[in-house]
Amino acid sequence: MSFRKRNTVINTSATATATQTKPENVSAPGVRPSPHDGRSTTSTGTASLDSLLAGHSGLPLGTSLLVEEHGTTDFAGVLLRYCAAEGLVQGHQVHMLGMHEGWRAELPGVSTDSKTSSKSETSASDKMKIAWRYESLGSVGAPRDTPQKSINASSGSGTFCHSFDLTKRLSPVDVKGQIGFHPTMSMPSLTRQPQGLSSSPFKVFLGDIAVKLANAPPSGVHRVLVPNLLSPTLYSSSACRPEEVLQFLHGLRALLRQYPSKLVALITLPLSLYPRTSGLTRWMEHLCDGVLELIPLQLDPVHAPPPDAKSESKSEEKTQGLLKVHSLPIYHEKGGGGTEGHTGEDMAFSLSRSRGLIIKPFVLPPMLEDEEKEKNPASTTSSIDF
Amino acid sequence: MAMRIPPLLEPYLRLPPESSLIVLTHVLGASTNWLVQRYLCSLLGNPGRGVANENDQHATADKECSVVLVSFMRDYGFWKEGAGRLGLDLDALSQKRRFSFVDGLSQLFTGASGDGSRAKSRDASGQRVLQSSTLQDLRSVVSQALAERTTRDVVLILDNPDLLLSAAGSEMTAQAVRETLLDLRETVSSTIVTLAVDEPLVSAQTTSLEKEQASLVLSLAHEAELLLSLRLLDTGTARDVSGVLRVTHGGASTGLASEERELLYFVGGDGGTRVFERGQ
Repeated sequence: MSFRKRNTVINTSATATATQTKPENVSAPGVRPSPHDGRSTTSTGTASLDSLLAGHSGLPLGTSLLVEEHGTTDFAGVLLRYCAAEGLVQGHQVHMLGMHEGWRAELPGVSTDSKTSSKSETSASDKMKIAWRYESLGSVGAPRDTPQKSINASSGSGTFCHSFDLTKRLSPVDVKGQIGFHPTMSMPSLTRQPQGLSSSPFKVFLGDIAVKLANAPPSGVHRVLVPNLLSPTLYSSSACRPEEVLQFLHGLRALLRQYPSKLVALITLPLSLYPRTSGLTRWMEHLCDGVLELIPLQLDPVHAPPPDAKSESKSEEKTQGLLKVHSLPIYHEKGGGGTEGHTGEDMAFSLSRSRGLIIKPFVLPPMLEDEEKEKNPASTTSSIDF
Repeated sequence: MAMRIPPLLEPYLRLPPESSLIVLTHVLGASTNWLVQRYLCSLLGNPGRGVANENDQHATADKECSVVLVSFMRDYGFWKEGAGRLGLDLDALSQKRRFSFVDGLSQLFTGASGDGSRAKSRDASGQRVLQSSTLQDLRSVVSQALAERTTRDVVLILDNPDLLLSAAGSEMTAQAVRETLLDLRETVSSTIVTLAVDEPLVSAQTTSLEKEQASLVLSLAHEAELLLSLRLLDTGTARDVSGVLRVTHGGASTGLASEERELLYFVGGDGGTRVFERGQ
């Protein structure tokens, strides 16, 4: 019974994406039902992040994700760029708060290179085409570092999560969606009159999105991206009052709930400016559906695993930081429990040229032989003494 | 019924004593939503089913109560879905005037700037919508909702009223929120409030936001009959435990909680909840 039902869903979605005739949610490009409970999800553009999201294998529509980052690195910005690029390639509407037009040039391009090992991958993905709903279920037990190649159909229209190349730039050919920039700090001009209460950049932004959402066709997906929320380079001091940002997040939450099949949001927050020990940050976390914390590590030998020169001497396999999951969309709203959720293991991330940010369980690498030799003399002498 | 309401929680989920306040506290990652849903189920579900033989028809009819739910963080759809999983049809109950929902999410801060067509005091399903973040508005809308209830016992559930305090700006004080709450409590038989008590919110108390939050939480805890506090496991995460539920006397306890105890809870992916002692 259940198998049959799932099968029909696959068929309808496949035909719908091919013909673009059915104006259903399922037919929207880049949207697929969650294998966990069937709600519509869309990809964040980073496959390993998709697989982290409580069994939904994607960001459920109508939810928001807050990515916090320590220090001065910009790993969260990479996630944001991938999300924007994925949205543009899928034909979604992207709304950026706080960035200018030039940011578009920083988006990664769609990866086109076919590796030597792609043969096995495509055969695997052909299998997945039959039972792609189970693909994430199968990977729960498996290590998460292999990014899921979602239905990598030859046509490309059914791809849920594209793979991007950080060294390339997104070419206008691939862009099907639209991106709108909403700058937060305008140049001080004498000609324009301040608009009273609504001059707050947050309120203007929310108003704009609300109008666009109300007038948009029912099948389109909109992505709200807010990089470096409250960073002083992007926001004036008046916008940094607690009530301004909390009202903004509350309003955004209202919009997300109002359009549960149209809108997702990804927000990044610099933790060095707004530490997690402050009440304001905690309220912001409560107002977002999912909260991830990125802790980049200094790349000194103390933290970084030694390069395993024999097996894979890729520098991109190095752990570049730790990732903490504080809450996940839908999962923690229900109460937090079940087999699908975060298992509590330590997560680490690394940035790869071809696969973006890779999130995987953190494991200490096995001790290498030369290190053991260095340690062994001490142990042998102690044993002699004993 | 026994499956829907965990047996260990049953004594706390019953209709609370007259004019009592019950405080449910949550932290990030351990939300009180499932507990509020269990309260809805216990208060609005058929009370006679579990103890059918002991009560005659008159007593069960007398026990019926109605609920007004004011939610600042979640929309009606969420509560409807959650209650639906427990076999509770909120739409039908609101038609029977035993349940009403006040939406404090969708237009609390955006309602004023919206155009006239969008700003409605009632949405399509007849639920009330708070349109401004003032306490007067809250008081009047909730009073209207309370006035419509037909049963004698009305339970008011406020989901995260502390959001109003934190997000509405500096003119909102914990004192004012508490006074409004006290006024509303006068008109209902009992009140259930959920509050965020994350450590940064209540322990540091350096900014005014934290001070006001801590002030509200502490004073409500002193006024409460019973405190149900949810938190995550101290030792990390586990596959079969979602968190810890601590039952404590409030400052104005009349003996509903006979003893203080700590229980573990687990919310499954399907919404089913298990509550159990440590070691069980």
